[in-house]
Amino acid sequence: MAAIELEGLTKDYGEGVANDGVTFDVERGEIFGYLGPNGAGKTTTIRTVLGFISPTAGSARLLGRDVTDEEQLLEAKRRIGYLPDSPAFDETATGQEILDLHGSIKGDERSAELLELFDPPLDREIRAYSRGNVQKLGLVTTFMHDPELVILDEPTSGLDPLLQQRFTEFLRAERERGLTVFFSSHILSEVRKLCDRVGIIRNGRLVTVEPVESLLDRSGKLVRLHAAESIPVQSLEIDGVHDLETDSESASSGGTEHVFTFTGDVNALLEVLRSYQLLDLSIEEAPLEDVFMRFYGGDGAADGSDGGDRVAAGATATDDGGDDDV
Amino acid sequence: MFELTRYDGRHRVRGSLYLSIGLSLLAAMVIWVYPSFEAEVDLEQLLAAYPEPILQVMGVQTMASLGGFLSFELYTFGWIILLGLYLAYATAGTIADDVDRRRMDVLLAMPISRRRLVGERFAAMAVPIVGANVLPPIVVYVGARLIDHPLAATDVLAVHLLSIPYLFACAGIGLLASVVFDRAAIAQRVALGVTFALFLSESLLTGTDAEPVGAIAPMRYYDPNAVLLEGSYDLVGAGVLVAMTVALLIAAQLWFRRRDIA
Repeated sequence: MAAIELEGLTKDYGEGVANDGVTFDVERGEIFGYLGPNGAGKTTTIRTVLGFISPTAGSARLLGRDVTDEEQLLEAKRRIGYLPDSPAFDETATGQEILDLHGSIKGDERSAELLELFDPPLDREIRAYSRGNVQKLGLVTTFMHDPELVILDEPTSGLDPLLQQRFTEFLRAERERGLTVFFSSHILSEVRKLCDRVGIIRNGRLVTVEPVESLLDRSGKLVRLHAAESIPVQSLEIDGVHDLETDSESASSGGTEHVFTFTGDVNALLEVLRSYQLLDLSIEEAPLEDVFMRFYGGDGAADGSDGGDRVAAGATATDDGGDDDV
Repeated sequence: MFELTRYDGRHRVRGSLYLSIGLSLLAAMVIWVYPSFEAEVDLEQLLAAYPEPILQVMGVQTMASLGGFLSFELYTFGWIILLGLYLAYATAGTIADDVDRRRMDVLLAMPISRRRLVGERFAAMAVPIVGANVLPPIVVYVGARLIDHPLAATDVLAVHLLSIPYLFACAGIGLLASVVFDRAAIAQRVALGVTFALFLSESLLTGTDAEPVGAIAPMRYYDPNAVLLEGSYDLVGAGVLVAMTVALLIAAQLWFRRRDIA
């Protein structure tokens, strides 16, 4: 039984479909990244899974429980932690009072330990909290009852870089202990650092779900070559070369620089390059930002306008260019 | 169970204390002016000078006794109108404000049913409702003795005890508004409007053909005049108010259970 099972999950608000037939599973023990630009429908999926809104169609199961059945949902909630995208607490209460309330309802296994990592000023009233402190308090309340599954909506927003780092390490350690994590993000470096698998959502539709490595594989390599002589552009017109940029001016030690994304066979590329005198060559993973661009196009809204550069979407791909952005 | 009620209740203690002190001051003032009022004003003439609808709205039956005077100056004005509106207003803020300020997600992520959340929040309104009735009866009883117009202790106690189901019913109106509307400001305005409209419908329609309309108003079932002037306690009315409160609570729970949290 998967930790989260979504089957054709659809939420139609009337003025737009926020989630359209979203289907995927989050397996136990994995960190699953739910990636998409703002307004793609990430929060709608999360809030449906937690029973805050009811699906128009389809079903969602949380730790094997049907979320549209309140009794079952409550059983699941005893074992999950949730951090909303901008958590809010009673402004007139102190941090300590909030922790006491949460502890009294869902239990407190480890707040002391968590407070060493994330240390909001507990004696102060929430109204005096900075955004970062609210987020820290949110993290403590999310994990204090030692849940099996945590659902985090944009968890690192509001955290400074040092705390983001601490949070990343903490989440990795929790995965080692068997925790399942489902988190949404539009920050790609975060997803890349943390996730085992990634689901990409766009305009309410799931574009693909795959391991983060295969996403990187299919996204190709970033090739940067520095040749002593000029390489004719035509000779680089081999299968799998995209976005070729040539610069013969700025190369400090003479010669020309070529930078391109390569999705073809590396041997074919090396075959071509063998006949030229190279000063330097680097082949590295394309940044996930580029992968993201392939799914979303340049401005994150246009659909398929980058034609040949698009990576074929995975088995779950649905892509008819609906413009329902909620 | 009742973790939320305890939490909310604690946060309402201080406000309820201030409320109780404020109402005690109002009570003290009304009692303090009564002797000079009684001595220097021809009360029957004053009553005759008021238009009938005003007397009806204010629940004035007589000013010739401290009981009658208190019953409209303090209980109709202070309890039926002011406190009734305040509780409708304050309760209307409970659920809607959590939704409005996006605190509801954090609350509902906890293993607590929506029905229980609404029920517990509502139960915490017992703190201001009971709190408002702690100090004033003492002030009224002692004050009445000090100005030599003693009132029966049981009557004073009864007029306050019977106000509790009335105030819960007003809070129930607020609660229903609170789950129906997402915006706290709208929920509160609707609760104030409905409560005041019910008050007017009850007091203005009495004696007219439309009198039955007032039967849905909680104000019909709490009558300070009857308690303080005749010493009659309307326990059936109190029962109706309890039933109204329960009905409003259940309606609010059912509604909240089905709706999407915006």
